[in-house]
Amino acid sequence: MTLSKEKAGALCFLVLAIAYGMEARHIPLFPGDELEPFTARTMPIALSWLTGIVSFLLLVLPQREETDDILSVFRGLNWGRTSILIGLMVFYGLTLSPLGFLLSTVLFLIGGIYALGERRWSVILLSSVPATVGFWFILDKLLGIYLAPGEIFAMLGAN
Amino acid sequence: MLDGILQGLSTAASPVNLLMVFVGCFAGTFIGMLPGLGPISAIALMIPITYGFDPATGMILMAGVYYGAIFGGSTSAILINAPGVAGTVATSFDGYPLAKQGHAGKALAIAAYSSFSGGTIAAIFLLFAAPALASVSLSFQSADYFALMVLGLTAVSAFAGKGKFLVAVLMTLFGLMLSTIGTDQTAGLQRFTFGSLDLIDGISFLLLAMATFALSEALMVVLKPEKISQEAEEATKGKLGSMKVSREEVKDLAPVVGRSSVLGFFIGVLPGAGATIASFLAYGMERSFASAKEKLKFGKGSLRGLAAPETANNAACSGSFVPLLTLGIPGSGTTAVMLGALISYGVQPGPRLFVEQPAVFWSVIISMYIGNIILLVLNLPLIPYIARLLALPKQILTPLILFFSLIGVYLVSFNTFDIHIMVIVAILAIIFRLINFPLAPMLLGFILGGMMEDNLRRALAISDGELSFLWERPITASILGITVVVLLAPLIQNIIDVRRRKALKVNDGEG
Repeated sequence: MTLSKEKAGALCFLVLAIAYGMEARHIPLFPGDELEPFTARTMPIALSWLTGIVSFLLLVLPQREETDDILSVFRGLNWGRTSILIGLMVFYGLTLSPLGFLLSTVLFLIGGIYALGERRWSVILLSSVPATVGFWFILDKLLGIYLAPGEIFAMLGAN
Repeated sequence: MLDGILQGLSTAASPVNLLMVFVGCFAGTFIGMLPGLGPISAIALMIPITYGFDPATGMILMAGVYYGAIFGGSTSAILINAPGVAGTVATSFDGYPLAKQGHAGKALAIAAYSSFSGGTIAAIFLLFAAPALASVSLSFQSADYFALMVLGLTAVSAFAGKGKFLVAVLMTLFGLMLSTIGTDQTAGLQRFTFGSLDLIDGISFLLLAMATFALSEALMVVLKPEKISQEAEEATKGKLGSMKVSREEVKDLAPVVGRSSVLGFFIGVLPGAGATIASFLAYGMERSFASAKEKLKFGKGSLRGLAAPETANNAACSGSFVPLLTLGIPGSGTTAVMLGALISYGVQPGPRLFVEQPAVFWSVIISMYIGNIILLVLNLPLIPYIARLLALPKQILTPLILFFSLIGVYLVSFNTFDIHIMVIVAILAIIFRLINFPLAPMLLGFILGGMMEDNLRRALAISDGELSFLWERPITASILGITVVVLLAPLIQNIIDVRRRKALKVNDGEG
C-alpha cells in the first residue's frame, strides 16, 4: 500500500497533535487556576484538538487529485551534498565557541565550497578568507560587536 | 494627515534613509534575482543588520528590499525563465518569450515601468487608505483583534491554492503550536521547554524565519539543482536589445497598468492574498479583456501579458502594508517577517502606531514611493550589469548564504544552541517543501500566536469566561461572519467542482 505525501504529512501531524496534547496536560498551573476561564493550558489544549481534527479530516477525506507517493518525493535528489552542508552547519555550531569566529567560519566556508564541487584551491581560499575577515572587521572593528576569540586560544594562552 | 506626510517626508528624505532605500532596493534586486531566494529570505537576511537601527530606518531598508526583491525576481523570470519569487511567475509567461525573441531589453523596461506605475498608484492609495483604516481600528477591542487574527489566519489558508486549504490550516496550527513554546507571557509558566534553559524564551521569530526561508531555500537549490546555468550565462553575455518603448505601446499599456494597479492594491490589502495571487488574477483579467487577436499572443510574448502581472505584484506589495501598519496583522509571509522585525525594534504595529509613532508610519509609506523611483532611475540602467550576477557560481554563493543566515541569528543571542535549532528547523522546512506543505502560513501562525492568545485571554476575562464576546459586538460578529464565509468558500468550491466533474462524467457516458 502506498501513502500519498499529503496523507503521510497528515499522519505525522496527527501523531504530533496527540503528543502535544498529552504534554499540554502537564503544563503547571497556579492554585485556583482550575476556576479561571483561561490558563496557560487552554490554548495548547485547544490547538492539539484542532490539529488532531484537521489532520484526521485530511487523512480520511478523498483527495482532489492524485499526488506523488511519499517515498518518490525523496528520490532522485542530491542528498549527499545537502547532508554534507547540514553536517557542516552542525560542525559550525559546535566549533564557533571553541575555535572562535574567524577560524570556524573559514573552515565552514572552505568545507561548503569544496563540498559543492569547487576544486580550485585559489578560488576556495579567495572566496572564504577575505569574506570572513571582511565580515569580522565590519562587526568587530566598525560596529563594535565583540566576538570572543576561541576558547581554545584562551586555554593555550593560560598554559 | 498633512503634518504626518511632511513628517514622513522629512524622515524618509534624510540622507541616511535615502541611502537605506537605495541599498535596500539594490540588495533586494540582487537577492530576488537569485533563483530560489524570495523576498522573505531577502528581508530575513537584512534583520540582523538592522537591529541597531532606528525603527523608521530599519523599516525603510526592508521596504526597499521588498520592492527590490520583486523587481529582481522579474529580471530572472524574463531573462532565464526562473522567477526568483512566486509573485513573478506570471511575468515569465510573456517576459521569457519576449527575451527569446530578442526583446529582453524592452521586456525589462516594460517590467520596470509597470512596476513603477503599479507601485506609485498603490502608494497613493495607501496614503489615503491606511490613515482611514487606522482611525476606524482605534475603536477595536481585544475581542475584535482576536476575531481579526482568526480571519487573517483563515484567509491565508483559504488563498493557499486549490485543494490545499486543509494543509495550509494544518501549517497555521503548527505555527501557533510553535508559538506556545517557552514562558507563557501572562502567567509566567514554562510550556514545552522540557527543562531546557535555552527554550525558556521560546523560539525566536528571526531563527524561524531564517531557517524556514533563507536556509531551506539555499539548501533546496543544492538538493534540487535546476539546469539554468547555461541560460544564465547566455543571458548575461548576450545583448539585451533596445530598452525603448514606443508611444503606441505606452498608449496601449496605460489602461492595463491602471486596471492592474487597482486590482493589485485591493488584493494586497486582503489578508493572505498578496503579490502572487494579484499577478495571476491581473494576467487572467487582461487576457479576458483582450481582443481575440491579442488573446492569441498571450503566452507567446504579449506586452499586455507582461505589464499586467508586473503592475499588480508591485501594487499588491504596497497594499499588503495596509493591514500591517493599521491593524498590526500581516497579510502575507513577507509582511509577517516585517511585523516580527517591528516588534523586535520595540514598535507595536497596530492602530496606535499611527498616533504614537507617526514618523515610522508615514516614512514607510513615503519611502515606498522613493523606492519606486530608485528602482526605475537606478536599477533599470544597471540591469545589464546586475544580470551578470546570475552567473555567479552557486558553489560559492550557497555556503555564503548559509553563513549569513546562521551568523545573523547567532549575533542576536550569541548562543550556539540557536544554530543547532536552526539546522533542525531547516531540515523540517525542506521536508515540508518536498511534500508541498506551505511554510508562509506557519510563519504567520507563529507570529500571531502570542498576540492571539493574549487577546483571547483578555476578551474571556472581560466577558467573565463567557463565549458571548464572539457575537456581542457588531464588529466582532461581522469579522467572524466574514471568517466563516472565507472558511466555507473552499468547501463550497470543492462541492461545485465534484458536481461538475460528475455531470461531465454522466455526459461522457451518455455521449
